[in-house]
Amino acid sequence: MAKAIAITAGTYEQAGRRGAAADYDVGLMLTFQKGDELAFQELVERNHSRVIGLIYRFISDSTDAEDLAQEVFLRIYRARKTYKPTAKFSTWMFRITANVSLNALRSRANRRDDVSIDQVSDFGDGPRAMPDPDCAMPDVRLHQQELQGKVQDAIQALPEKQQIAVILNKYEGMSYADIARTIGCSTMAVKSLLARARDNLKDRLLLYIRTGRGRQRVG
Amino acid sequence: MPSPCQWVRSVLAAYLGGELKPSTARAVRRHLETCEACRAHARLLEESWRLLDESPPASIRSGFTSRMMARIVEEKELQAMEARLRPHRLRRQVVSSVLGLAAGLIVGFALYAWAGLTQEPNSPIECEVSRSVTFLQDVDLLDEMAVIEAMDRLMARSSSDSGA
Repeated sequence: MAKAIAITAGTYEQAGRRGAAADYDVGLMLTFQKGDELAFQELVERNHSRVIGLIYRFISDSTDAEDLAQEVFLRIYRARKTYKPTAKFSTWMFRITANVSLNALRSRANRRDDVSIDQVSDFGDGPRAMPDPDCAMPDVRLHQQELQGKVQDAIQALPEKQQIAVILNKYEGMSYADIARTIGCSTMAVKSLLARARDNLKDRLLLYIRTGRGRQRVG
Repeated sequence: MPSPCQWVRSVLAAYLGGELKPSTARAVRRHLETCEACRAHARLLEESWRLLDESPPASIRSGFTSRMMARIVEEKELQAMEARLRPHRLRRQVVSSVLGLAAGLIVGFALYAWAGLTQEPNSPIECEVSRSVTFLQDVDLLDEMAVIEAMDRLMARSSSDSGA
């Protein structure tokens, strides 16, 4: 199957080139399109960590991130008949991922009115961790958790497109051109988005930069 | 025309991300060497960007692929069920459409009939009916007039009796 995938992938010059891996995923998708479900299984195996990781950056909940990642792959599965490799597979996959994540965020924002403020965790995942009494530096640990929460809040406070641009650039290492293809705008627009996003983040995290809290580490 | 500082700050994020053309990056670097304010601004941007590393990655449970493939099996079963139900749904849709159309016709006819009764008569039969209704209304009036005339005669007799 690997040889067939490589041959199929190699014939598609329109797929963006960023290493053989990107083309390989296009090849897998095309093989799946012809009816080979093992190819889809391999696509899931190769990409699920990135998808879950990306969604987590938006919503800060690992369990929900996995559920939403299933939704992403389900959309990919359903789209097999109409799929056309006009870009790298990851571009298309991340576009679906960003859409699913933002839809989830919007649903959460609508439900937030019904949720007591006590139920909303400042620190993202799970219940607030209590400081370990055996830890030599409990203050530092609390500061670390507070900082993680503030960083997450700062990202989630950004407008949607700025959020996507920051997450794709910072945590996926995507270039401006790749981000532009993912969100469907020009590279100039991404440049502007990231400039504004970074200014916004600087303003929101200024306190943590100036007091040096970011430099404290546990243990 | 933006000032040099304004221009540098507008491209600083791209400069720090290595996204500028070499000539543009050189121009930014030269400016930063001479401008303390822009250097401080760049430092803050870099620090805040670095703080984003504090956000921990997701913890991913093993076995995602097998859970995903199990979900695909459910999806296929759902699609197969929908394919089986589609002819029944189509039949139900046709029946609903026909009933809807029939109901619409009945209501339309009823409205038309009601509108016909409240309008001025046009056909000979309508005219005759209309004349009969008017006649009956006149009969009511005549009844009243008969009573009034009778009372007039009574009053006239009583006044002549009293005169006599």
